[in-house]
Amino acid sequence: MPEKQSKLEQKITKAELNLSVVMQSQQKSKQNNLNLKNPLITASGTCGNGQELANFYDINQLGAFTTKGITVKAQSGNRTPRIAETSAGIINSIGLENPGVENFILEVLPETKEYTLPILANISGYSEQDFEVLAEKLEGREELAGIEVNLSCPNIKGGGMIFGTEPEKVYQITKKVREIYSGYIIVKLTPNITDITTTALAAEAAGADAVAMINTLSAMKIDIEAQKPLLANTFGGLSGPAVRPIAVKMVYQTFKKIDIPILGLGGVKNGSDVIEFMLAGATAVGIGTINMTDPAAGPRIIKEVEEYMLKHQIKDLSSIIGTAH
Amino acid sequence: MFKIIANREVGPGIFQLVLNYDQLPQKPEPGQFFNIKVSQSGSDDPLLRRPFSIFDFDAAEKKVEFIYRVVGKGTKILSELEAETELDLLGPLGSPFSLNKNKGNVHLIGGGMGIAPLYYLSKELKSSNQKVYLGAANKAELEFFEEKFKGLGVELHLAAMEEKLEIKGSALVLWLNYLEKNTPDYVYTCGPEKMLVAVERECLKNNIGGELSIEKRMGCGIGVCLSCSCETKAEDQKNKRACVEGPVFGLGEVVLSA
Repeated sequence: MPEKQSKLEQKITKAELNLSVVMQSQQKSKQNNLNLKNPLITASGTCGNGQELANFYDINQLGAFTTKGITVKAQSGNRTPRIAETSAGIINSIGLENPGVENFILEVLPETKEYTLPILANISGYSEQDFEVLAEKLEGREELAGIEVNLSCPNIKGGGMIFGTEPEKVYQITKKVREIYSGYIIVKLTPNITDITTTALAAEAAGADAVAMINTLSAMKIDIEAQKPLLANTFGGLSGPAVRPIAVKMVYQTFKKIDIPILGLGGVKNGSDVIEFMLAGATAVGIGTINMTDPAAGPRIIKEVEEYMLKHQIKDLSSIIGTAH
Repeated sequence: MFKIIANREVGPGIFQLVLNYDQLPQKPEPGQFFNIKVSQSGSDDPLLRRPFSIFDFDAAEKKVEFIYRVVGKGTKILSELEAETELDLLGPLGSPFSLNKNKGNVHLIGGGMGIAPLYYLSKELKSSNQKVYLGAANKAELEFFEEKFKGLGVELHLAAMEEKLEIKGSALVLWLNYLEKNTPDYVYTCGPEKMLVAVERECLKNNIGGELSIEKRMGCGIGVCLSCSCETKAEDQKNKRACVEGPVFGLGEVVLSA
């Protein structure tokens, strides 16, 4: 009892809160760790390249920023409609519209120089070789803290998710990328698989520094008036609050099986969702769809996390990682 | 924060939403839109905001107005909101119609809910040398617009599909009837994509400049999600976003689907 009392007397104040998290690297040097001032990382493809969100708040307040997925060659994306709505979720089939890695380096990367937060480049490929080319092109780019290897895009034919559903392929591609790229490597995994821990283990074994989960869930919507699929691409990927419980479950399930950090994402819209992912075992937490519906959400979510920490008298946010187990 | 002053039915299933605002980041221009969160009390359904082009704006009264048709879940919820309800809006967003060029004889062609952005445009053009061609399903859908445009003192022509006004038919056919004897120097149009395609084709054929405002299924409205990408006819074939580079485009700028 006296112990409890003394705790109450020494109440943690807002100024004492430490929201920083460290995403450890598998590489020996500590320099390779990804140090984040808070766990929030923008999810690829939901924040453009930063400028759009800059109209709403200073994105340097976030932990890290992930750029829109890039491929070797420029892609114009899928036909429209590319987005459908469902209860508490959206189904997208954008199809990786992007300017290609060369233009990314020439046009997008220079724009990120004004940011002080770590920048991650999301890369996607149609073949194993594509990932090697992308890793080569981005190796040594000082603007980047790391890359996110997207082995899970459901919206491109002959690639993306196909690689992410087979542990052997995840291993092979991750290993190749690891041999070429010396910065921080996050492998983004698909939930469209029987057991996501098998691909998480494969990524870890191949040298990934962290895994991100989950990408979108394969889904579709039928326009009952037109009596046809709504998306021009027929299928798309479901994101938003609707998928969060699935994502939390997968993070929880994976946490005890791997030693590398997890970037948990899927439907986060407020501070309590961030806490939930961290309790499940996520070191960092992605914000995606919320940026589309509430572009100013980032700072609000951080504030809500702080409120939770004060309420529960948690000084170091990283102390709650995986504690729901 | 925005507060509803009025949200009333002004035609069959067509509503006028009048909002009062505290402050805006900039003056809204004709052709721009606001992205309105229609779900209330933290509900996630519907998740996405709904984009509505500006029907009217009054800086002195701090009012912004929209006209919308109830077509789905989002607009149904919106139509049930009462005066004094506070609303969450993002905007003004998107690229507006251009107003500052010396355009001479100007035609405005609007079909259905595509009429909405043309009213604020017509008002801001401040030119007596403009002719307005509007079409909708029937007279009841046009009555509200008729009264509003008449208040601006512009030359107004009306057509309905279901009954004979000036003609029985579309705004497009109405406009085409006038085109030969009264060729415009510049055209602004908004409405069904088939109409935009035809207006664009006629204008390009006759060397008439102009702008169109397109409707495209949007995700974010701020340019991050690329849901509303439009193919372009530019050499580099770079897509343009309806929510940022649009919704107003020059004639021939983006590929329309007929």
